[in-house]
Amino acid sequence: MGAISLQPDRPATFRLAFAPDFAAARSAAAAVRGFLAEQGVLDNDLFACELCVAEACNNAIEYAQGEYRESSPFVDAICTPAAIELRVTDHTAGFELPARSEVPKPPSERGRGVFIIRSMMDDVNYLRGTNENVLVMRKTRVPHLAAAGSAASTRPNIDDVKKELADCRRTVSGMARELCFRSETLSAIFRCCAELGRSGDRDGFEDRLFGDLLHLTAADWYVLRFTNADGQLVVAATSEPDLKGPPVPLLKAGEPPAGIEAAVAANRTSARFEARHTAAGTAEPLRAAGPEAHGLVYPLIFADQLVGTVAVGRRKGGWFGELQDEVVRTFAEFLAIQTVNFRHRAEEVRNRVFARELEIARDIQRSLLPLTLPQLSGFGLAGGWQAAREVGGDFYDAISLSDHSLLLVVADVMGKGVPAALFATIIRGLLRGLSTRGEGPAQLLSRLNRLLYAELSSVSMFITAQIAFVDLRRRRVTAASAGHCPLLYIPSSGDEVVALPARGIPLGVLPDTVYRHQTAEFGHPGTLLLHTDGLTDVRNPAGEMYGQQRLIDWLSANCFGRTPASELRDRLSAEMNRFRGSAPMGDDQAFLMLTEEGLPENRSAPSWWNPARFARRPLPIPVNA
Amino acid sequence: MKIENLGERLTVSEISELTAVNSGQFRERVGAALPSASGVVEIDLSQTQFVDSSGLGALFALYRSTGNGKNVTLRLLNPAPEIQQLFELTQMHQLFEIVQR
Repeated sequence: MGAISLQPDRPATFRLAFAPDFAAARSAAAAVRGFLAEQGVLDNDLFACELCVAEACNNAIEYAQGEYRESSPFVDAICTPAAIELRVTDHTAGFELPARSEVPKPPSERGRGVFIIRSMMDDVNYLRGTNENVLVMRKTRVPHLAAAGSAASTRPNIDDVKKELADCRRTVSGMARELCFRSETLSAIFRCCAELGRSGDRDGFEDRLFGDLLHLTAADWYVLRFTNADGQLVVAATSEPDLKGPPVPLLKAGEPPAGIEAAVAANRTSARFEARHTAAGTAEPLRAAGPEAHGLVYPLIFADQLVGTVAVGRRKGGWFGELQDEVVRTFAEFLAIQTVNFRHRAEEVRNRVFARELEIARDIQRSLLPLTLPQLSGFGLAGGWQAAREVGGDFYDAISLSDHSLLLVVADVMGKGVPAALFATIIRGLLRGLSTRGEGPAQLLSRLNRLLYAELSSVSMFITAQIAFVDLRRRRVTAASAGHCPLLYIPSSGDEVVALPARGIPLGVLPDTVYRHQTAEFGHPGTLLLHTDGLTDVRNPAGEMYGQQRLIDWLSANCFGRTPASELRDRLSAEMNRFRGSAPMGDDQAFLMLTEEGLPENRSAPSWWNPARFARRPLPIPVNA
Repeated sequence: MKIENLGERLTVSEISELTAVNSGQFRERVGAALPSASGVVEIDLSQTQFVDSSGLGALFALYRSTGNGKNVTLRLLNPAPEIQQLFELTQMHQLFEIVQR
């Protein structure tokens, strides 16, 4: 802007010489202000003029040299309706007035004076003389106002415009501050979000998020509570151990709330908290924040679901401002969304893993049971299997060794799920491999135990098994047991079903177990039942166990009827279901049934055999036909 | 000028002016009372009618001596509109938290 020509007709002037010290310089600047105020200069301009005179006067004192240190600088002020001219005469060596001036960068303690003068005045000149220099500063007041006359009413009033401008500046400045604040809030949220995505660590995520929240709101404590399945609010994270109070119950009708957090959770609206206004003697966990603590408690709500509460506050300094309230709310909402997402995601992953494990275990188990059993001349063989829960470790197998001999196996792997099914697969595979070596059941069990001991004991599992070598031509069975229930058969020496006692400890318990076998000849009809304890241990709704004797009785009642093995199997399954009734199935059931199909014409049932003897029990209905 | 030390909070108030006349004294007295570790320093400018570049220099010196505001939260309370504008003009508002209560 060019030099402003003052109105020469009505200038008001003012001159003041002042002592060469800062206090006098300050008084001079204040006096100039007083003079200008009398001329009707507006407040904003008054401040600018006073400040610029003060800056110039300070320079005049600070840089005075030699003998002139004691010389008084002086200030002139000339005011017209259109402009103000301010002159400060110094006795310094003078300086080069830069054409432009900026805020010192990097910021420093000094160097702002010339910048302020340049910014606040419309025109600045520095006239250098010999030992005397004059800084001339001019500022426009109200251009042409005096000549405006009647036109003044149609023009906007300059005072109003200036006031409006000042208001706008304030508004813009406030908006800039708010924008800055919001941008910090957003970047904190984005930063935490990105970290959460990378690490999946929700605990650390909460710490970082709340660290940022405390920083942004100048708060010094927080308490984050989440709801749990028991209807309580449990502290999930807090800024300090003193605030980690016990769980508080969610509000129940007719009971006073256990503190403001419970009340906020019940009302689902935020509330302000002031420690000194909480009723003494009432439960208020947030009182631990200190006697002067103020804060805000927000409910964490997502999709109408209460997730928890967040309390944020200060120990001193009173309530938050409006903007800080809003930041707390933004963080609370964001955290609620993240928490629900995190919980949902974790649950989904758990379910997916569980479902997949179940699927794998079922596949393994399906592959465990032989698709077909060996076809035998004059004998029938059938296997029954039923899992108590999803997947178990019971299985059976029958391996044909020659046209008249076979190996029967029934085993029970302790445990459920994939590990049990995997061990069942291993033992089945091993047996199939080992069975061709011509070893007897006891040797097979000893060998299996040696092969599996390390793996089984490392996961604290064991297996019970019964292996029976059957020679149909000699009508002989050789059986060995590893902690398994005995097989049932009709011996050649008698007509009643008995158990073949074979003893041994389960596989995987001791490293070098030696098993022994028992051999027996079976009579007529040739009948063998190998089974797991799921059959004898099944309970009825009264809690009564089926037991071995009942199984013997059932077999006795059913084995003399030229009944095909598959039908006997179905009857036995039905019998198990009948006895169990509505009681839950406690254990898996697996069995192998070998029967002599079609009695020779010259043989008949023993004299004692009378189906009516067993007729007190209804005949089972096959369910797996 | 009144300096109150409330534990982690230092409050400086009753400052009628902050100029070349008293900026040296302000610097010395506030500097001596600064918290050694973390805390909050609040300069209450409610009663301050005038600030010049020496006053700004003293505030900047305070900012420097608190590790550029990292160790201590620096807050300027209730500056008059023209002083607020001066802070913005000289970009001091970027160094301090300016709060109107």
